[in-house]
Amino acid sequence: MALAVEALEVRYGGIRAVRGVDIEVGDGEVVALLGANGAGKSSTLLAIAGAIRPYAGRVRLDGRDVTGSIPERMVRAGVAMVPETRDVFSDLTVEENLRLGAYVRRRDRAGVEADRAAMFALFPRLAERAEQTAGTLSGGEQQMLVIARAMMSRPRLLLLDEPSLGLAPTIVEQIFAMIARLAATGLSILLVEQNVGKALAVADRAYVMRLGRIAAAGPARELAAAADLKEHYLGG
Amino acid sequence: MTAAIQFVIDVLSLGGAYALMALGLVIVYGILRLVNFAYGELIMAAGYTLYLVSASPLPWLVMAVLAVGAAVVTGIATDYVAFRPVRAKSVTAVLITSFAFSTLLQNAAQLLISPRPRSIPLPEMFSDTVTLFGVVTPARNLITIAAAAVLLTLFTLAMRRTVLGIAMRAAATHFTMARMLGVPANLVISTAFAISGLLAGTVALLWLGRIGTVVPRVGLEPLLIAFIATVIGGMRSLEGAVLGGFLLAFIDTALNYSLPQDLLKFRDAFTFSLVILILLWRPAGLVRGPATGQRT
Amino acid sequence: MSARDLLTLLLLVGSVALLAVAAEFLEVRLFVRIVTNLFIMLVLVLGLQVFMGNSGILSFAHVGFMGVGAYTTAVLTIPVRMKGMALPDLYPLVAGLELSPLAGILIGGLVAALVAAVIAYPLMRLSDAAAVITLFALLVVLHTIMLHWSAVTNGPRTLFGLPRATDLRLAAVAAALAVALALLFKESRIGLLLRSSRDDEVAAAALGARVPVLRWQAFVLAAFMAGIGGALWAHFITSFSPKAFYLKESFVILAMLVIGGPGTVTGAVAGTYIVTLAFESLRALEAYLNRAQIFAEQVVGLTEVVLALAMIGVLVLRPGGLVATREIGTWLLRRKPDKGDPP
Repeated sequence: MALAVEALEVRYGGIRAVRGVDIEVGDGEVVALLGANGAGKSSTLLAIAGAIRPYAGRVRLDGRDVTGSIPERMVRAGVAMVPETRDVFSDLTVEENLRLGAYVRRRDRAGVEADRAAMFALFPRLAERAEQTAGTLSGGEQQMLVIARAMMSRPRLLLLDEPSLGLAPTIVEQIFAMIARLAATGLSILLVEQNVGKALAVADRAYVMRLGRIAAAGPARELAAAADLKEHYLGG
Repeated sequence: MTAAIQFVIDVLSLGGAYALMALGLVIVYGILRLVNFAYGELIMAAGYTLYLVSASPLPWLVMAVLAVGAAVVTGIATDYVAFRPVRAKSVTAVLITSFAFSTLLQNAAQLLISPRPRSIPLPEMFSDTVTLFGVVTPARNLITIAAAAVLLTLFTLAMRRTVLGIAMRAAATHFTMARMLGVPANLVISTAFAISGLLAGTVALLWLGRIGTVVPRVGLEPLLIAFIATVIGGMRSLEGAVLGGFLLAFIDTALNYSLPQDLLKFRDAFTFSLVILILLWRPAGLVRGPATGQRT
Repeated sequence: MSARDLLTLLLLVGSVALLAVAAEFLEVRLFVRIVTNLFIMLVLVLGLQVFMGNSGILSFAHVGFMGVGAYTTAVLTIPVRMKGMALPDLYPLVAGLELSPLAGILIGGLVAALVAAVIAYPLMRLSDAAAVITLFALLVVLHTIMLHWSAVTNGPRTLFGLPRATDLRLAAVAAALAVALALLFKESRIGLLLRSSRDDEVAAAALGARVPVLRWQAFVLAAFMAGIGGALWAHFITSFSPKAFYLKESFVILAMLVIGGPGTVTGAVAGTYIVTLAFESLRALEAYLNRAQIFAEQVVGLTEVVLALAMIGVLVLRPGGLVATREIGTWLLRRKPDKGDPP
C-alpha cells in the first residue's frame, strides 16, 4: 500500500509539534523517519494512524484521502501502528493479545488461527510464553509481541515507532532481522528510529525531521554516507 | 450451630447482591475511568417499571424482564446524556454530569410519578420460607445466592472467552491502544453500560424484593454499597469489586449480629469506620487493578 | 499578594459590600433575607472552592461539616432553660453552657475542622475517584449520625431555640473574610504546590510536595469554613433538622461552584450570585404555579431539574465553569500581546 502525507501539521494546544511535513512511502517500501528527540516523529506517526487529529494537511492511502479517520477505520483500511510505548495489555495473556490484534478479522476464524500459528513460528519466544500474562514478558519479548499483534490484522502498511527503544543490542538485532523479514513479504513500513545505523541498513529511503519539519530526504545509502547527518541531530 | 449457618446464609446472600451491585459500577469505571453517580437510578428505573406494569395481567417474569430492560435502557441513556457530551473534557466534569443526571432522574420520578413510596409486585416465591440445615430463611435469600452465582459465572466466562470480553478488558487497560487495534470504542462503551444496566436491573429485583416498595431515593443505598465495595476492592479490578462486595456484606452482617440494640442505628457509621481502617492499610484497595502506571 | 490578586480581592469584597449597602438602604425584608442567605452561601461555596479548586477532588462531604458546625453552635448557644425542652437528653457537661453566638460560631468551625482532620487523613491518600466516592459516603455517614444522635441533635426532628444572631452585617463580614481566606490560600505555598501536583505529581514531589498532607490541609481549612458557614446559617434560621445537610444542599452548593468555575475564587463568587438569582426566581415560579393550581399536583423539584440541566449545559459548553482559569484581577490587568512575543 502506498502512503502519501502532504503538508501535515500537528498541534498540541499552542505547541506546534509538526509544521508541514511531506512523506511518501511506496508500495512495498521501507522508509525510515529519523531525527532527534522532540523532532515530531511520533506525532507524525500518531496523526497518520488516526490517534491524533492533524491540525492541517492530508493523509492518503493508495490515493484515497483518509485524513482525520478514527483509529478503528485506519486499521480496517490496512494500517497497523506499534506505538513507542509498546502498550501490551499487561493483564491479558500473550494469546489474548494476539487474538485482539486480529479483532477486525475476527469472523475469519480459520484465517486468524493460521496467522496465530504463523506468528508463533516467526517468534518462537512468544510461543513458549503463550499463556503468560503480557506484563511478565521482558522488554524485548514485549516488543516482539506488539509487532506480532499488529501483524495479526494483516496490514499493508506498518507504522513502527522506535522499536529498538530501551532494548539490548542483541535483541535489537533480532527485532531488525524481523523487520527485514516482514519487508521482504511486500509490506510497506514507515519506521521511526533513533538508532540511525540499524534504520538505514533496513530502509530503502529515509527522511530526517528537525523541529517539526523535514530537514533532509533521500535514498538510505546516500543518507548513511552523508557527513552532515550529525548536524541535523545535534542541531535539535 | 444454627446461628453460624444463619450467618453464612446471610453473608452469602447479602454478599451476592453487593457483589453484583459493585460489579455493575466497576465495569463502567474500569473501562472509562468514569464514576457513574446515576447508577443507583438504574435500580430506581427497574423498580418504577415494575410499579407501572403491576396493573397489567402479565406474568411476573415478563414484568421482571421489562424492569431489567428499563435498567439497561437507562444505563445506555446515561452514556448519551451524561457521559458522551463531556467525556473528552475533564474527569470532574463527568462526575458532576452523572450526579446532575441522577438528581434529574430522581426529581423526574418525583414529579411524574410520586414522591411517596409505591408498592411493587413480587412473586410469592420471594416471601416463602425454606428450611435449610435446620435454619429457616426466606427463599429470597437462596434465590439471591443462586442468581449471584449464575451471573458472576456467566460474566467471568464472557469476559474471558469472548472476543468482546477480551476487548473490554483491553480497553480497561489502555483504551487508545485497543482502538489502534481496531476495537470500536463506541461498541465497547455501550456494551459496558448495557452490562452495567443488566447487573443493576437484576440486583434491583433482588434488592427491592427485600423492601417491597420503590421511592425516588431507592437507589441511594445500593449506590453507596457499590461505591464502598469498589473502593475497598480496588477501583479498577473486577475481581476486587466482587471481593469488596462480599467483604462489605460480611462486615455489615457481623455488625448486625454483634452491635447492641441502641447502637444498631449507627451501624453505617461503624461500617464506614472499618472501611477507613482498611483504606489506611491499603489505599489502593485489596486487589491490584490492571498495571498501567497511571494514577487511577 | 500580587497586584492582580489584590485587585481581585478588592473587586470581590467590593461586590459584597455593594450588595450589603443596597440591602440596607432598600430595607425590603425579603431582599435583606435573600442577601443575608447569599452571604452565608458565599462562605460555604468558598470553603468548597478551597478544597475542590486546589486539589481537583469533588467533595460531597462539605455540607456534612456544615451540619457539624450548626449542631455544635446549637448545643452551645441555645439558652439553658430552652435546652431542657429542646434537648432533654443532652449531656450534663454541655447542658449548662450558654455561650455567645459569636463564640458558638467560632467553636462550630473549629469542631468541624477537628472532625475533618481526624476522619479525613486516611482518605487523602486515595486515588482521585476513590476519594470522591469515599467523601460521598462520608456525607451519608455524617447524616446518619445527625439523624440518630438524638441526645445532641434531637434526632430527625427539628431543633429549635437558637438565638438569631446572624444579621446582614455579620454575614457580609464573614463573606468578605471568606473571600480573602480563599484567595490567600490559593496563592499560598500550600495552594500552589497542591495545584502543581495535579499536573505533574513527580515534579511536585521533587519540590517537596507531599500530596496527601497538602490535600489534608486544604480539606481541614475547607471544613473550618463549612463549619463557620453552617453555624452562621444556624443562627440565621434558628431552627433546623438533619435534612438540611444532605444531598439537596450538596447539590445546590456544588451547582454554584461548578457553574461559576471551581478553579477560581471569582468563579465561586460569580456562581453563587448567578445560582442564587436563578434559584430564587425558580422558587417563586414554583410557588406561583402551585398557588395558581396550574397543574393538578404540587410542583416539586422543578428547581433541581433546571439546575441539573444548567450544570450539564455549562459542563458541556464550558467545562471549567464560567470563570475557568483567570481571576477577575488577572483578567483586567492582562497584558496585550506585543509584536515581539513568540507566536
